[in-house]
Amino acid sequence: MSKIVETQDMWKIYSLGEKRVEALRGVSLSVEPGEFVVIVGPSGSGKSTLLHLIGAMDIPTRGDVYLNGMSLSQMDDGDRTELRCHQIGFVFQMFNLMPTLTALENVEIALRLAGVGRSVRQARATEVLARVGLADQARHRPAQLSGGERQRVAIARALANRPRLLLADEPTGNLDSANGLAIANLFRQFNAEGQTIVMVTHNEELARYAGRRVMLRDGQVVAQ
Amino acid sequence: MLDLVFKNLWARKTRSILCILAVMVSVFLNGTTLTMNRWMYETLTSELAKYMGKIFVQQGGSSYPPIDSSIKQETAEAILARSDLGVNVAESAPLLFIRIERGMMPFMPAKLMVIGVPVGKENVLIGSVEATEGVNRFPGEQGDVVILGVNAAESFGASVGQNVTINGQPVRVIGILKRSSMDSVNISAIIPLEAAQRLFAQEGIISALLLTPNDVNKTIEIGAALRENFPTLEVVTQDDMLAEAATVMRMPMEYMSLMSVTGLVVAVAVIMSTMVMAVMERTREFGTLRALGGQRRLIVGMVFAEALFLALIGGLPSIGFVLLVSRWMNTSPPNVVQLLQVVGFAVVAAVVAGLYPAWRAAQVAPMEALSYE
Repeated sequence: MSKIVETQDMWKIYSLGEKRVEALRGVSLSVEPGEFVVIVGPSGSGKSTLLHLIGAMDIPTRGDVYLNGMSLSQMDDGDRTELRCHQIGFVFQMFNLMPTLTALENVEIALRLAGVGRSVRQARATEVLARVGLADQARHRPAQLSGGERQRVAIARALANRPRLLLADEPTGNLDSANGLAIANLFRQFNAEGQTIVMVTHNEELARYAGRRVMLRDGQVVAQ
Repeated sequence: MLDLVFKNLWARKTRSILCILAVMVSVFLNGTTLTMNRWMYETLTSELAKYMGKIFVQQGGSSYPPIDSSIKQETAEAILARSDLGVNVAESAPLLFIRIERGMMPFMPAKLMVIGVPVGKENVLIGSVEATEGVNRFPGEQGDVVILGVNAAESFGASVGQNVTINGQPVRVIGILKRSSMDSVNISAIIPLEAAQRLFAQEGIISALLLTPNDVNKTIEIGAALRENFPTLEVVTQDDMLAEAATVMRMPMEYMSLMSVTGLVVAVAVIMSTMVMAVMERTREFGTLRALGGQRRLIVGMVFAEALFLALIGGLPSIGFVLLVSRWMNTSPPNVVQLLQVVGFAVVAAVVAGLYPAWRAAQVAPMEALSYE
């Protein structure tokens, strides 16, 4: 089976004035379809940088990252954006919902960006909201929802385009333990249905649900 | 994504409304300056059109009205006595122009004038304009009497039979004219020439001699003959008046154009500051859209749509105000091209103002969505 994600000797070096910061140092990693991988490590270990690169938001300084066999370094910004739109779903720590839109409209955003027609996207957004247990809150704005509910909306938005890869950056970082557990269960449920997930987390509870745990320290994979 | 644009503007409604109001004022300023320019041009050209084929002989001062000009009455009579010039003496007259109230601005025409006209030659100035009250001709007496133009009557607040004070002297009103197509008549107190000369201590002096040629097609030749025979005098035909009017109007019109440009700069600055603030506040939102697969062009389009919306909502109602101003100024309403020019002004303001914020928003990296602050 072909790998969904593959990184080869990937380096990411930032220049901060005259200072060079090696955020990632020769990371090689692969993710198979249907896997649930968590990336753990102390602050500054390069977890978020790795997620940016896997998520086609940035390109490595050296080495390469392949998504479904396609080299991200060879793509221009427009192609990487297209890839994010159709093949990758993102869940953010801060939810990143549009405050002026309802839960349903927030989920629809991802579908609109993908050019899905109104009737299809409304049906699909309603369906995916129901799957995260928010069918009754579809008309609520983010301000009217709890933290856990907001993150559910964000997960629904990430899944709306049926992405091959779901990326999550500290999805329970802003939630209490009960809501964190509920979100963890959702991820486990989607993974059980075949969804490939790569997640950065500090949450040990969540990390336990993952099929594989990648440990980063000082920009290098130290265990997996 | 237009709904997102509108919802964002609504979410920041105080700022949006203030921006729209500022744009409204700027577009109104632009439209009003266009109307003012049109008004000045129309007023002057329509006024001068009444002098088609006529000739002013004067000395010093502006071409029209020749308020500061001054020539001896005997010179004027000498010209009128020349039968070889082809002048219609019955339709020609020496006139004395005295400004008694200035216009609102230095470049604007006088607000109130006294015109001295020889008794029996009122037709040269008044033409066929009838009186609403009293008479439209001097009854032959040489006393201190006055026929008021419609605006002058309002200004003096006088009616027939009452006295008005001109240069400190009481003058009896014997007639109030209907509105004339010539503003110089509407704003004037028309007094027998001798009385006007006496009231203003200008005995033997007139401002100009208004000549009507026997043959209107000979105006240029008559003008040339007058210049040859009276080289110290200025001979001004309608064409000369129009040329000088264009020169005189150039400065105020340029000033108005400058105000119009100022309006544009203000509109651009207001929209741009609103949009830059909005873009800075919404960095995470744009980052999220980029992370979810929104292309840069989508972000640029959203920012431009917001700028355009602010400009049009502010600009379109201003057209109504401009129409009201043109009605108030009694000038012809702006035509479709001029209205489109006002709308175009708003669109240009939006496009110019949207450039930098749109560029800035397009630079937001998708990683911004992942930042925790």
